[in-house]
Amino acid sequence: MEQLTEKVGAVPDRRLLAGGASPGPVIEVEALNVTYGDFPAVKDLSFQVQPGELYALLGTNGAGKTSALEVIEGHRPASSGRVRVFGQSPTDRAATRPRMGIMLQESGFSADLTVAESLRLIGRLSGRSDRVDRVLGVVDLTRKADTRVAQLSGGERRRLDFATALYGRPELIILDEPTTGLDIQSRDALWEAVDQLREQGSTIVLTTHYLEEAQQYADRVGLMHQGTLRSQGTVSELTRALPAAIEFSLPQGAPAPPIPFATRDGGAVLIETFELQRDLKHLLDWAEVNMLELSGLSAAPTRLDDVFRDIGTTPVPDTP
Amino acid sequence: MFPIARSELIQLFRNRAVLISGLIMPVAASIYFIYNRDVFSQIGSIGFVGALLAFTIAVFTLYATTVTALAARRQSLFLKRLRSTAASDPAILAGLVLPVVGISLVQVSFVLGVFAVVGGRPADTALLVVAVLAGFAMMLALGLATAGITNSPEHAQVTTLPVSLGVIAVASWVGITGTESLAALKRALPGGAATELVVNAWDGAAPLGDSLLLLAPTLGWVIVAIALASRMFRWEPRR
Repeated sequence: MEQLTEKVGAVPDRRLLAGGASPGPVIEVEALNVTYGDFPAVKDLSFQVQPGELYALLGTNGAGKTSALEVIEGHRPASSGRVRVFGQSPTDRAATRPRMGIMLQESGFSADLTVAESLRLIGRLSGRSDRVDRVLGVVDLTRKADTRVAQLSGGERRRLDFATALYGRPELIILDEPTTGLDIQSRDALWEAVDQLREQGSTIVLTTHYLEEAQQYADRVGLMHQGTLRSQGTVSELTRALPAAIEFSLPQGAPAPPIPFATRDGGAVLIETFELQRDLKHLLDWAEVNMLELSGLSAAPTRLDDVFRDIGTTPVPDTP
Repeated sequence: MFPIARSELIQLFRNRAVLISGLIMPVAASIYFIYNRDVFSQIGSIGFVGALLAFTIAVFTLYATTVTALAARRQSLFLKRLRSTAASDPAILAGLVLPVVGISLVQVSFVLGVFAVVGGRPADTALLVVAVLAGFAMMLALGLATAGITNSPEHAQVTTLPVSLGVIAVASWVGITGTESLAALKRALPGGAATELVVNAWDGAAPLGDSLLLLAPTLGWVIVAIALASRMFRWEPRR
């Protein structure tokens, strides 16, 4: 995938060429509910995705993100609420699909077609134009062009899946668990390709179980739990709500630290703080004055994982 | 529609099992019926052999292959993939069934053509064409409906049996015993009126007006089958 930069980066912004981006949000979700029988999979979900941003919709298993995504993709009707993609109903495929690439969670290719035949078919039906060889080059499948899908590895199928989404450089790309099953090199290359597409103005909607990917690449994150959107914002906005942690062990008979702390099982000291840099400096100064060694010292800022865990363990408030 | 049809045609010819069971076996069975046409026409009539040939293709090439192919495409999520594109549902369905419809029409034209040459020409070719097309439309719609309750290509071997055996049994019953007794029942069964139409078209035994009346139950079955298909067809595997 070393040709990525060259091949994707050489492309001018389609939206600028087409005469400008969409004036409003690319995706609008208002009070969306999705129910299966009596089971509410998505409850009163509302959010917007603005042009050019990468929005990560994250959640625990069964949080309802796939159901929400399927409504946005036009694969499933909303039980109630309103969803618009480029101001249109997502079920209006003729209007939305030429501007929208979808990487499904599961491949959905015919085993008896070759890689090039599969991409050519889906690309042609998408209403976008591109060159099959160019797109296969981007996902490093050129050598597999004439190989039947049945003979591809799981990672190669995911790359073919990604190829169908980026075919024709759509304005909106939906990536549903894009890096599941990919090795680290393919994963890095995929994100490099996504970066290139974003530089050209594409909007990305992402779901992933790899929270570090969302932390690194997402402009905004929506966290779903038990069908509801529990939290939304930039990564720093979300992580700011939880304290960072300083952890260390003290020798026997040492004085108590100068900052409020808790003692873990095994004797390790845990300090939770919203002022990590200030409290860490204070602690190190105190240790130096008292000639103490803080063994196993670690100081970690709050990560998306912590927010995710916090939401996963907090009960969902009753809806009136 | 045509890119989908092209890819479907490629897939049909690359899948040996479908090629043998759906395309080669019906022709082999047809050759057997034509070779033994004298035996079968003594049991029923020369028109009965024509009906047997038409429904062999309709059941095994058109109906069974449609069910198997659609179940396979749904199981692999290929249908969902196609719905992720700008193609409309009718265009997707039309593209998926177009190759097998085309192949079955070529097969039935060839087989009935050969039979007409060796066994005698039909008395009313136009009526025969209408009867065959109506029977095929019914079997295609029944195929879409059956695909809705078929989870996989393997499952299709079971789910296609009732309609396949039922239609062949009805065609044989009507073709062998005629409709002098239990006429209403025989004509109301799926394939019954269509069989009588084919027999009449080939043998020329009935007035055209009487034959045309048989189009009503045949087209009624087409409508029933389409209604079943629109209710039962699914695009994604059941969760």
